[in-house]
Amino acid sequence: MTSTSRLELLFKPLSVGPLRLANRIVFSAHLTNYAVDGLPSAQHAAYYAARARGGAGLIVTEEHSTHPTDWPYEKLIHGFNPEVLPGYRRITDAVHAYGTPILAQLNHNGGQASSMYSRLAVWAPSPIADPLFKEVPKAVDDEEIASIVAGYADVAARCIEGGFDGVELQCSHSSIVRAFLSSATNRRADRWGGSLENRARLLLALVDAVRTAIGPDKALGVRLCGDELLDGGTTIDEAVEVAVMVEATGSVDYLNTSIGVATSSLFAIEASMAVRPGYALFIPSAIRRRVGLPVVGVGRFKDPVQADRALTEGHCDLVGVVRGQIADADFARKARSGHTERVRLCLSCNQECVGRMGLNRWLGCIENARTGRESEPAAPRARRPRTVVVVGAGPAGLQVAVTAAERGHRVVILEREAEPGGQVALAARVPGRAEFGDLVRNLLSELRALGVEVTQGVDATVELVASFSPDAVVVATGSTPASPWWGADVPDGAPQLLDVTDVLRGTAVEGRAVLVVDELGFHQATSVAELLADRGHAVEIASPSLVVGQDLGVTLDLEQFWVRATAKGIVQTTSTMVTGLRRGAADIQHVLTGVSGSRDVDAVVLALPAIPNDALAEGCRVRGFDVHTVGDARAPRRAHAAIVDGTRVGSAL
Amino acid sequence: MTSGLFDPISIGARAAANRVVFGPHVTNLGAGRSLSEGHVAYYERRARGGCATLVTEVASVHESDWPYERAPLASACARGWRAITEACKPHGSLVLAGLGHAGMQGSTAWTQDVLWAPSLVANVMTHEQPLVMGDEEVAALVAGFAASATIACDQGCDGVELNAGQHSLLRQFCSGLTNLRGDRLGEDRAALLRDVVDAVRAVVGDAIVGVRFCLDELAPWAGITTQVAAELLTGATEGVDYVCFVRGSIYSEAATQPDGHVEQAFNEAATAELANALRLTGPSPLVCAQGSIVDLETAERLVATAAIDLVEMTRAQIADPDLCAKAVSGEGARVRPCILCNQHCLVRDPRNPIVSCCVNPLAGHEREDAALDIDVVEHPRGHAPAAVVVGGGVAGLEAARALARLGHAVVLHEQDDALGGAVRSAARLPGRSRLGALADWLEREAVHEGVTIRTTSRVDAADLVDDAIVVVATGGAPARLWLRDGDDGSVQVLDARSVADGAALAGVVVVLDPIGGPVGVGVAEMAAQLGATTTLITSDVVVGSQLSASGDLVDANGRLARAGVAVIGHARAVAISAGSVVVEDSFTALRVSVPAVVCVDAGHRVPEDRTWPPSATVIGDAVAPRGILMAMLEARRVACSAGAPSR
Repeated sequence: MTSTSRLELLFKPLSVGPLRLANRIVFSAHLTNYAVDGLPSAQHAAYYAARARGGAGLIVTEEHSTHPTDWPYEKLIHGFNPEVLPGYRRITDAVHAYGTPILAQLNHNGGQASSMYSRLAVWAPSPIADPLFKEVPKAVDDEEIASIVAGYADVAARCIEGGFDGVELQCSHSSIVRAFLSSATNRRADRWGGSLENRARLLLALVDAVRTAIGPDKALGVRLCGDELLDGGTTIDEAVEVAVMVEATGSVDYLNTSIGVATSSLFAIEASMAVRPGYALFIPSAIRRRVGLPVVGVGRFKDPVQADRALTEGHCDLVGVVRGQIADADFARKARSGHTERVRLCLSCNQECVGRMGLNRWLGCIENARTGRESEPAAPRARRPRTVVVVGAGPAGLQVAVTAAERGHRVVILEREAEPGGQVALAARVPGRAEFGDLVRNLLSELRALGVEVTQGVDATVELVASFSPDAVVVATGSTPASPWWGADVPDGAPQLLDVTDVLRGTAVEGRAVLVVDELGFHQATSVAELLADRGHAVEIASPSLVVGQDLGVTLDLEQFWVRATAKGIVQTTSTMVTGLRRGAADIQHVLTGVSGSRDVDAVVLALPAIPNDALAEGCRVRGFDVHTVGDARAPRRAHAAIVDGTRVGSAL
Repeated sequence: MTSGLFDPISIGARAAANRVVFGPHVTNLGAGRSLSEGHVAYYERRARGGCATLVTEVASVHESDWPYERAPLASACARGWRAITEACKPHGSLVLAGLGHAGMQGSTAWTQDVLWAPSLVANVMTHEQPLVMGDEEVAALVAGFAASATIACDQGCDGVELNAGQHSLLRQFCSGLTNLRGDRLGEDRAALLRDVVDAVRAVVGDAIVGVRFCLDELAPWAGITTQVAAELLTGATEGVDYVCFVRGSIYSEAATQPDGHVEQAFNEAATAELANALRLTGPSPLVCAQGSIVDLETAERLVATAAIDLVEMTRAQIADPDLCAKAVSGEGARVRPCILCNQHCLVRDPRNPIVSCCVNPLAGHEREDAALDIDVVEHPRGHAPAAVVVGGGVAGLEAARALARLGHAVVLHEQDDALGGAVRSAARLPGRSRLGALADWLEREAVHEGVTIRTTSRVDAADLVDDAIVVVATGGAPARLWLRDGDDGSVQVLDARSVADGAALAGVVVVLDPIGGPVGVGVAEMAAQLGATTTLITSDVVVGSQLSASGDLVDANGRLARAGVAVIGHARAVAISAGSVVVEDSFTALRVSVPAVVCVDAGHRVPEDRTWPPSATVIGDAVAPRGILMAMLEARRVACSAGAPSR
């Protein structure tokens, strides 16, 4: 598809209060961990500016804390500190250079926080500990509520002074306003609790104070949760009523929406590829039926076509595209110019964006090594084009090729298999993981645009590499499954022993009972276990860790894996390692108690750390070539490491 | 000949005033990868308190190593080492720079590159495979140690301590768990350590070179054992002035600095054995003992043995920076005790918490909290107004102690017949007895400072006179267990504190733990020890999720498994019905009924719902039930603000 005709609404300008938006694509608020000592950084400015340059219609920054009692994570912007002003101006100047409006999100996280950084009691409507932070908050009194309201007004005024075009009040996800609105966290008996009117009193007080602080010519938005997915929490009917109350103030210019609560149902907020796109559209849809204000819809919009459809179907007036623009800062520009196929589609893998937030690391992207590094200079064009032979068309090899070709080098890619993509292509064969394969699709689409072809089905030897007279050789030959430490002592009649990659390549798994060994803690074991269960095997996963697929929690895949695994009858056995095979059985040992046991199984499928394939590198080095090893061939790691290696080497050639 | 803890000793060519060492540890005080003003104040405070030898936080010797976000990088530490030495030396202390490389125990989150390792053994936590170091990387590592040592000594450090203990590439080369190489560095696993020591000695002249060395990886199938350690060190200590022995491997990181479940001085026997083995082979370096040495008596006993020359008392001096000064002045009994809780001092945590201490919340905050440091500053006495403290738990005792120390006449009212509040109860849980040391100390110090203590004295708002300083520290209360689908009364419900205090547990017990801290696990262990068939229901995916911060997570899971405690994860109780606790899976919403005679609620507590005069300051759990640290900190703050001239 090369025409924007099907994206008519997406690129139709819209007025939002005093703002005129060039299109409907919103870079909604999300954490970045780019703040340094509580202040906005140069990286913030470069990050937002890249999305402004890329064509976003509206940018809403990450939250700015409105009060010293609010410091739930280390790298929060302390809006209450007047020293933020120069950083504000740096952000707004950088974004306004592209004519893009930018709003600041204001928030107090309330009880969804701890005293770790503030060394102060956390504040909330009622003394109910948050399920993630697990700290009992102080129930605020009237004086403290007044101080919260004053804090919002103070920070709102500072944001306007810093050049923002307005502010958005975070009243969902993680917020004291959310906590007041929700019966699950507001158990007060005074005028701030009980009826919906009472629970909304703080929100309305904030709207009033903030509008006064920012004046009539700036934009004010309110972000509401449509379903907290909590026992006794806010659901859509109450959310719509609150939206009506907000509109009735006459002080608000737009409504943003959300689903889930950050500290208990985060998997719904930043849903992984396991959740269908557009899953939260019922919320803006319901609100839009009752209010006239523009409404923003969110929820895994990764494709411009799909975003446009949400508009044409009338669910919302604006579409929040966050991860889509984290992966590709030029999402809007590419779509507008008719090159939707060039958009580097988000995988919704959550590995380096969402996954790094909870770990207090800077926001990145599995397939875009520039994300999070925008403030650093990009690699310049090569001064002298060189001939680069890349061996291996997995993610590392493809990324080297893209980066090197973009810089003007002549690139040859040699791939042994009939298809490119390496282990990523394999991993994407599992149902529910198909979008992971977009990583390969995106890289191939870049290569196509750069005119680089992948030569497939050739086993690269030193002689073949030499035949191209390369100036540089990049070895991206991946890794080989490891044999377990007991692998040399497998007797006759033992269960079939194979690697997860064997299963994905099509090796038939014998018999019915299968034991999957998870020593990687990620999708490798769990996704193959699901695949085998779908095929009718009785599957047990054994992991030496305390959790099967431990890192699925980081990418918000754990809850739904658990639900699917339960439905499929997959048994999860933790703190257990396989110690060997014998006739018809696997020996196991509980690592905490030392108690031994066994499992009668027909097959054992292994997910173990792999062994690098680096033989070609040594051969090429001996021949005197300039050799670089990337990805698993250097050290077997996850896909993101391959992309970073590839970008680094491609930039240095 | 026996020696005393406070006898001077020569370490190499330098003289240490006593045998006490403040060992290297993660602080997260760094500014970027540099040592900060916070570091300077932190170390200066311990030097001022009389510690003879301080080893600064381990700095990475090469940029390939970035094990945690605020890990110092030696090439960025010149100014920091200069400032630390200038601050500490006036107190007569020696300052050594900790140097290391975490190798495959590091992280690539910040380098966005590869881990370095001797061999292809995956990182235990991330399952990431490392880069197998070639000649180039090995040479860079050795050069990095030498260059870093040069910087440190040029900036005034008295020497360096090279990390071949926990989290170290040098240990990974020494160990059969991680070194599977076929080259010289594999055949002779101590070769790299010797190369590094030689390279460092060559550049530091007569400065101190210490080595932190692993004496037991607790993995006898391939790892370093005491015997292997002796073999590795034989011939490897030329040029080494002291060796500090620690334990733990890639599989047992928490064993290096365990909490109170492990006895004090747990490395003593192995350290002595190694010291004696080393001395058999000729001139030997000094030996420093490490491993939960927190009491002065323990340290004195160790130093009195011929084998041990120095003792590392790190957590003890986080808890009380004046440990040495108090001991030397005959006030050793007044040292504020480390309670081995590990709640705030183990900070190799992605959230980058700043090192601190339950019993000394000023630790790590020496600069901003200087005004709260009442232990050393002389305060005017005699003109301060009288004060009343309601509640004799940790918060109340600390407030009373501090107010009295600041010159107020203090009366403390406690409604129970004993002092110590919730901490006394927690100390009754298995493996937590050491918590009681804090209550004992607070009680002794309050008396020492002249606080009038009235037990079995319940005070209400009406009893309080207007003109006195009033501090309310009445603690928390059990929350009413909320069960969405009701409670037919067929199972007895008890709160965790009453169980810790001795409420009868027998038969079939279900423990509800939405927190994942020490209490739920401790109550379950207690129930199992009493012979009850015990099930622990946790809202988290793993039991004791919060115990990872104190290093007890895996051990706690092991203890529960060995005790036969059944565990149901990501679940919560929704009803009590027909002699069972009905438990719902948070992910699948599937329910099971767990038969029970007693259901223990180990959930969060609530503040007591009582009204106090507006002039009263409420602190600790009475504000919101939290941990010891916030109670101690709020107590100190209220005492210091009450004593301020503006009042």
